[in-house]
Amino acid sequence: MLDDLLRRENAGTGVITTELIGNAAFLRRTTIDLIGRIPTMKEVREYEKWGPKRRAKLIEKLTSHPRFADRWTVFMADMLRIRSNVTGGNQLLAYIHGSLNQGKPYDQLVRELISASGRANSNPAVGYILGDDAAPMELAAATSQIFLGVRIGCAMCHDHPFDDWEQKQFYDLAAFFGKTKKVQSRRGGGGVYTTEGDKMMVLWPPEDQADSDKRKPVKPKFPFQMADGGATPKHIKRFEAINLARAKKEAGGAESASLDALLDSVEPNVGKPGDPVLEEAKRESRLLKVHGDIYRSSELRTQLAELITDPRNDFFARAFVNRVWAELIGHGFIEPLDNFSDYNELHHPSTLDFLAQEFIASGYDFRSLVRIITLSDVYRRSALSAEIDIELREKSELNFTAAPNRRMISEVLYDSIVVAGHLKDFKWPKGANNKEVSREIRVPTGEYTILKPDESQPVMMAEKQVIRDDGYDLESSLKINFDSVLNSKEQAEIADMRMESDEAIEAKEMAAKMAAMMQKDKERRVMKYKTETITETFDDNPRFDSAMRMATPAPPAHFLRVFGQPARTGLGEFRDNASSLRQQLLMLNGRITHEASRVGTLEPIHRLLIKDPDLAIDWAYQEILTRYPTDSEKSDARIIVNNSAEGMADLRWALLNSNEFRFLP
Amino acid sequence: MSCSDYQYTRRRMLKTFSASLLGMPVNQLLAQGASSNAQAEHVILFWNSGGMSHLDTWDPKPGRKVQGEFNPIKTSVDGMEISEIFPQLAKQMHHGALIRSIAGTNGDHGRAQYELQTGFNQSPNIMHPGLGSLVAHEREPLGDLPALVSISGQAARAGYLGQQCEAYFVGRPGQKDPYLTFPEGISHARGMQRLQILEKMNHRTSAQNGAEELKASQTALKDAVALMESPSLKAFDLKEENSATVEKYGDTEFGRGALLARRLVEQGVRFVQVNRGGFDNHGNIFEAMRNHGADMDPAIASLISDLKANGKLEKTLIVVLSEFGRTPRINDGGGRDHWARVFSCMMAGGGIKGGSIIGASDPDGMEVAERPVKVADLHATLCYALGIDLNKELTTPQGRPIQLVRKEANPINELFA
Repeated sequence: MLDDLLRRENAGTGVITTELIGNAAFLRRTTIDLIGRIPTMKEVREYEKWGPKRRAKLIEKLTSHPRFADRWTVFMADMLRIRSNVTGGNQLLAYIHGSLNQGKPYDQLVRELISASGRANSNPAVGYILGDDAAPMELAAATSQIFLGVRIGCAMCHDHPFDDWEQKQFYDLAAFFGKTKKVQSRRGGGGVYTTEGDKMMVLWPPEDQADSDKRKPVKPKFPFQMADGGATPKHIKRFEAINLARAKKEAGGAESASLDALLDSVEPNVGKPGDPVLEEAKRESRLLKVHGDIYRSSELRTQLAELITDPRNDFFARAFVNRVWAELIGHGFIEPLDNFSDYNELHHPSTLDFLAQEFIASGYDFRSLVRIITLSDVYRRSALSAEIDIELREKSELNFTAAPNRRMISEVLYDSIVVAGHLKDFKWPKGANNKEVSREIRVPTGEYTILKPDESQPVMMAEKQVIRDDGYDLESSLKINFDSVLNSKEQAEIADMRMESDEAIEAKEMAAKMAAMMQKDKERRVMKYKTETITETFDDNPRFDSAMRMATPAPPAHFLRVFGQPARTGLGEFRDNASSLRQQLLMLNGRITHEASRVGTLEPIHRLLIKDPDLAIDWAYQEILTRYPTDSEKSDARIIVNNSAEGMADLRWALLNSNEFRFLP
Repeated sequence: MSCSDYQYTRRRMLKTFSASLLGMPVNQLLAQGASSNAQAEHVILFWNSGGMSHLDTWDPKPGRKVQGEFNPIKTSVDGMEISEIFPQLAKQMHHGALIRSIAGTNGDHGRAQYELQTGFNQSPNIMHPGLGSLVAHEREPLGDLPALVSISGQAARAGYLGQQCEAYFVGRPGQKDPYLTFPEGISHARGMQRLQILEKMNHRTSAQNGAEELKASQTALKDAVALMESPSLKAFDLKEENSATVEKYGDTEFGRGALLARRLVEQGVRFVQVNRGGFDNHGNIFEAMRNHGADMDPAIASLISDLKANGKLEKTLIVVLSEFGRTPRINDGGGRDHWARVFSCMMAGGGIKGGSIIGASDPDGMEVAERPVKVADLHATLCYALGIDLNKELTTPQGRPIQLVRKEANPINELFA
């Protein structure tokens, strides 16, 4: 269906339609796209054994793989601009991960994001509102651009220059956020939460166009047009049927649906009686009523969330489908991905509409959407060869009849090196890499000095990793535990709060203030250090964690950032796919590629190399490039490897550094 | 290498762009905006993060309540006085110029740093490049070191100019970049052998698939290897300098940073940014500034005199800049808070008229009194000094046309003869 539509839309354009990629390439492409790393040897072997229908089986397996949620959390984090270092950032990240894991319908997810109130620890979805400091203008611009693909935010200061949006329409939209307030908790160190005020803060005309007494509260009005009324289209009927079935299933479950929902968002694997998390969650669910006033939910934003996710609102599904399509195919039906406008050319509108309607009809099921795309022919196109004229090549790529060259995104590249080089677990026995190292340490001298400004310190604790303090710690993975991020201390705090008198709270606050002042005093003056060199022995047997569980985005010069992870500070910021010298230096001389290349004695290839060097070469190619070497590659490889572990390390180093490794097949 | 080398064709983008503007003229940009008497070839930017007090550095207010602990001292320029924390610099001010009337608009660190480093205010859907990236993009490379080097921290991002225009950074001056040599245990010969194997592999791939993306990746690889092998790398090694020179700059990280900046400029690096923090002095500002002065004064003064001595000063614009100034009022903690309404910056060399004082603040350093200078004007000035076309328009990867320098910005003409 999808392919038929596309063919029809491409009729007469003169584009070249390329061959479909082979089985091994398909395995590599889908594994990279869906679970964010290259396939392992075991997966290669398993796939080889599957007969017909192996592609459908593979997609089924990958969409239910635990890493599927990891990989697409990165996608959502880019889209939502999730940052670990802002209030609620890590909680939002963990919440998105949990939601993807559960297969939460996309419309429900977005409703939760837009309407959430409270504190990130107890209601992590509120991280979306906190990310823009609960500011109505910013949230209106972001919500429209992210979820609807419409840059109405440009009408914040003036009528949109390249579009038909008027400033008043923007204010109408912003008014939905106009009662939301961000509050600094009264308790020292209590954190930040959002709640709803009584007053509408969005006023019209704008500040610079009228005196303040002339400005009147704006009545929220949804500026986007819904599809016509009339007969319910088929895809919406299917959507309604699915929702009805879902509702029935939920009603048939436990009577306290809210408690279930709460538990789901806290930790996936709780439920045993006596589990401390469960107990806490229960306590929280009872307390929620008491504190309903503090974290008042937002009626306006709930309305807005309903309007945005209404299946008759064409923008909603199309905006998301366009993003997912671009992630899997290489570019969108419209570019920039978040700029749907009458003044911006939309390619293949029927194909997009078909996908959007199927997405709605599936009950906004993300995995269904991924399945439709990855099982289509268009997903399996190969790249055009170098002989074809560049103009024609680009035209064909733009019309989805040839695959563009996509580089793995930074997190995927990182994790693929980890997998290819067996760096997830120790690949050397204990003590095999004992090294004497001299290093400089800093010893306090007893004198004091003024503190230098805070260089961005990693927020998360590293797991047994030596962090260099010279600015060259560019490849480490600082792991966040998603479960513990959501398992907050807040519940206990609220319980305490109720028992304490106001005086006690005040006394505590004073004490906290004093402590903060003393702390500040300490910060200003710090001990001077001198440098001494010491020698010690350590077992150099590194392991690397997944880049998808790191504090995000990584620090500016980190591997992930150098390979294009965005800073996520502004709207409309996409991944940078350009090549750079720094990228090459990180790959050529970096620790991660080096360690991945070395042949660890606990790796299977080590034994193979002794028993059957030719097989070991096949194995290396399979593990790193998911294919067998050609004859001439093999004869080259024999010379390179020369039956030695060093030679094999050289071969693997080159394979890992090659363009073929970095770019998708 | 120039950072624009890795850009593959953006024809696709350009097409989208012209379609979206419905035949609007793409640019009216050929009005020549580049200066004809530009002399500067390099920039050394001392970026002082946190908001450096203008009153305690370039714009002293003797006899006023706001004066603080420092007295002004005379400089080599008649009638120009600066804070006593810069005694050596005072003797070099005939090469320097002070701008005392920067009218900032952002009192928040993040927003102000963005504006001071990019010349634009933060806005959605676009990320502007920092000054260094802009220069690296606009001026052809000299020598074989990266065009933009950032010392002791990160320069502003390259924004829409892309990853390839990001700064090459040096963690600590004098320290070796571990990524410039093959990993531990891999000899040079073996490393070179590995590169040959890699070259052959990439060649095979490119023979089948000649896409621009792959070519760009190979160009970057070639450049990386060239840098690893470059004899100019010795510029990064401060051991080549005798200890008297190191002492002269002050044997501090900042002093070594300034010394390294000089060595890099001598090798043709276009833009060096030396980062320093610790200026957000809400408390105990005078102790802090005294310490800052002790580090900065010998370093910058020696840099100016060394560049003068080797004839590079006329070609090298030195800029000492921060995101804003600090409140004239001294707070209860003996500090000063954020103040953007007026603040100062120092420039030297690069063909500007030495001894100039541009603008003035009012008697208490509260407001601009004379000749307001907008933040974007500083950028225009810098571009003007380097001969970069102020009217140039670029297209972002998202297909959006954008001015390199803000339209309403003007260079400070009085600085140029």
